[in-house]
Amino acid sequence: MLEKYMENIKKATINLYKEIAPIIGSRDLVYSLEKIISTAKTNLVDLDFKKVEFVSRSAAHALLVMKEDFLRKARNKKEISFINTNDDIEKMLRIVAANRALPKKEDVRIKPEMVDINSLIACKNC
Amino acid sequence: MKEVTVLKPKNSFLQGQLVSLYLALKDQGESKKLNFNLSKIDWAYPFLILPLSAYINSTKSSYTAAGSVKSYLDAVKFPEGIDSVLSFQKEIQLKKNYIPISILRKEKNPDRERLESLFANLILKVVGSVPGTRSAILYPISELVTNIFEHSLQDKGYLFGQFYPSKDYLDICIVDCGRGLAETYKEEGGLMLTDSEAILRSMKGNSTKASKERGYGVRTSRNVVCNAMNGEFIFLSGSAALVSSGKSEKLFTLPDFYWQGVIIAYRIPKPTGPVDIYKNGYLE
Repeated sequence: MLEKYMENIKKATINLYKEIAPIIGSRDLVYSLEKIISTAKTNLVDLDFKKVEFVSRSAAHALLVMKEDFLRKARNKKEISFINTNDDIEKMLRIVAANRALPKKEDVRIKPEMVDINSLIACKNC
Repeated sequence: MKEVTVLKPKNSFLQGQLVSLYLALKDQGESKKLNFNLSKIDWAYPFLILPLSAYINSTKSSYTAAGSVKSYLDAVKFPEGIDSVLSFQKEIQLKKNYIPISILRKEKNPDRERLESLFANLILKVVGSVPGTRSAILYPISELVTNIFEHSLQDKGYLFGQFYPSKDYLDICIVDCGRGLAETYKEEGGLMLTDSEAILRSMKGNSTKASKERGYGVRTSRNVVCNAMNGEFIFLSGSAALVSSGKSEKLFTLPDFYWQGVIIAYRIPKPTGPVDIYKNGYLE
């Protein structure tokens, strides 16, 4: 009984620097992490960001969604923790998490000046 | 094979290069085999030569160049580029002052990410270590490259950059020859948009994907480049290009020109003081 309990609280650690790269940019690489996490034989998984320098907004979003999805699973549920994150990665995760909690409501207004390229070609002082 | 003379940009700004690129590819139709004569240009700016590199590779076109421009193009592996970490490292060892054109391939996933990291770190090395610069440089590169693979449906993207020490600015260009923005909106959401409308929709943050939490990449990258770093930003797809700098936004229509895919080019002045992209709502 105790042995089974101990097995359940064992942690798996995934080194993201080795598994991916020092700069984690793409969302689809995070998706490939899901497979690695799914095969972990423990409920607790640490994603170790040691030596990872930067995580893009897209990758941060994918990581947070993945973390929530694993926690919601009825079977093969995993509790994922982010460890050894540097300041940049922490700030990025916080911004994306805040945006997930309160997504944008309105479109941003952009009203550019409409220009024909030929006016730029003809312009002598441009 | 038809010869196209690429004209010297009328000024060193991105808009000047846009004119040269426009004139080079205007009236050429799609996927035409051409010979680009680069003997008239005196600087091989990323915004000018990276789209040509992509065009030459995808159409098996050719080019001619002379003098220092030819030496520079050889040094940056124009037009074929480099698509592996090992070759990139070898090139850096051989030609310490040049960053080669990187070709990022979708199927080489972790290798692609490492190649992108190598490229970004090389850029950071030359730009300097003012606090906050790292994230300001890495944010647009990582967001815009990941966008290529999410939207273009192409298996490769092109990445190139050059720092100009005498001018104190960094130029970066990212290119794909995919389906383009308007087609992406049509295929993903059934929307019929012109190229100009598709660019504006993308800048407003209306993702081609269904999720409301997505669609920030291009606009926030533009915020970082133009607002946090006082740079210039160009977003081109099909027959339209949005040019942003500071609070100015101009949407150019490009008659008789069609880029099958997306070109993003930006210029960042070398930072002289600390930068913080996480403040002032740059990332929203």
